[in-house]
Amino acid sequence: MLTVSELSVSYGAVRALSGVSLEVPVGEVTAVIGANGAGKSTLMRTLAGLVKPASGSAALDGEKITGRKAEDIVRMGLALVPEGRSTIPDLTVEENLRLGGLWRNRAERSASQAEVFDLFPILAQRRTLRADTLSGGERQQLAIGRALMAKPRCLLLDEPSLGLAPLIVTQILELVSGLAKNSGIAVLLVEQNAVTALRVASTGIVLNLGEIVQSGPAEAIRSDEQLRHAYLGY
Amino acid sequence: MTTFIDYLLGGISGGVIIALMALAIVLVWRSTRVVNFAQVGQAMFTTYVALTVRDQTGNWIIALAVALVAGLVLGLIVHWLVIRPVKRADTSGAIIATFGVLIALQAAAGMIWGGDMRGYAPPVSNDGIELGGRVWPFSAYDILVVAITVALVVGLTLLFTRTNMGLAMRASAFNPEVARLSGVRVGRSLAYGWMLAGMVGAVAGVLVAPVSQVSPNSFDILLVFAFTAAVIGGLDSLVGAVTFGIGTGLVISLVSGYSDASNAPVVALVLLALNLLAKPDGVFGHHHSRAV
Repeated sequence: MLTVSELSVSYGAVRALSGVSLEVPVGEVTAVIGANGAGKSTLMRTLAGLVKPASGSAALDGEKITGRKAEDIVRMGLALVPEGRSTIPDLTVEENLRLGGLWRNRAERSASQAEVFDLFPILAQRRTLRADTLSGGERQQLAIGRALMAKPRCLLLDEPSLGLAPLIVTQILELVSGLAKNSGIAVLLVEQNAVTALRVASTGIVLNLGEIVQSGPAEAIRSDEQLRHAYLGY
Repeated sequence: MTTFIDYLLGGISGGVIIALMALAIVLVWRSTRVVNFAQVGQAMFTTYVALTVRDQTGNWIIALAVALVAGLVLGLIVHWLVIRPVKRADTSGAIIATFGVLIALQAAAGMIWGGDMRGYAPPVSNDGIELGGRVWPFSAYDILVVAITVALVVGLTLLFTRTNMGLAMRASAFNPEVARLSGVRVGRSLAYGWMLAGMVGAVAGVLVAPVSQVSPNSFDILLVFAFTAAVIGGLDSLVGAVTFGIGTGLVISLVSGYSDASNAPVVALVLLALNLLAKPDGVFGHHHSRAV
């Protein structure tokens, strides 16, 4: 389980996150939704170790991750799929995957790769191709696959729907939600596309201007009309 | 026609040495996005080290091995002591700093070994091979140079494509953030790039020494040719560096043969300028991976 307590982040004089506390339980998808600039990506990047928090902390199964380097946090079991299909176009599909678990031994890596290929069979077919020959949806699958190669206990997904067709988004998110349940991974999903995110998530958290304004069962947030109008804009 | 072929043959070993130096420049560029103008200075310095070892031991291979190690170490020192701290403040500052390193190394070499031209005898004959009743402009030493270069390029290719270290280095070069998120220690990968470049440059230095001789400035012209080859190849591309390194060697040989050796640098720079006008990303370059 990922526990975030009173996390605050500033970019110079601008406060991007203030006092964010949340829990991401194992086996579930927790969705953070909110408009552009609400601080969603900042939250993810801080948890992954790319941004230093001003105050507050985060812990994975009780082990503190804030203050550690990104390359160590992923080795501890928290993997981020950053915004914008973070594959390396010059590397092949297989190399992108291998990269995701480079520090693990060969046997562990091939076990994880087999799991990824089970989850995303299209990647197995494309394994020797360069990542820049893949379609957008395939590349997003590869980005998630790369993160899974670290055998994470907690998976962070930053805007996986960006630039993808709605049908593909639903497919990918349903796979991820199944993965959370079956493999016991805690998934934190950040989305502008609130409808899709809340459909697969069990818990929803609404972020606005760096603060949590509402959290609760995804179903309740989905049906809260006032909340939708005020923060989600639909 | 015979002269043309002779000039081409005569350009091969010079070309592969340029290719090695261009390769070193590309290795550094890929790891840290810095053009290392000190690369030839480092090679000059390690060649002096090799020359000293050679004088002591009389063994060409031991001298080459020591130069390799010295190249690795010097690459690491330059990266840690100069580039890393300067780059933290300013990227273009780091490029200027490499000029500083070049001048410092040349000065240091002058102080330690003096400014005179020193010969570096080749381990095997550098005279043209006689075959089929005529002397070809290709020596046993040229064969050695080509063989060592091929071995080095094959080794580097295997390192980059087959090993975890190579994959980590490529990922760090293409996308440092994704590399870090994948658990790669990017800082270490960058240092490996400088070390490998130092090593490749050191080999180029020892191989070119019998032809150019050794003085604090005798490799300067090699920088012009290697830089031309690296840029035309795309700065990012190992294949490009090797291809255009050899190409530059052939062009130099043709220009020197048909006109005069002193025209070669001018021709190289004209080619460089034309290339920058027509295809600024280089022939094998990746447009998307350039920082703006």
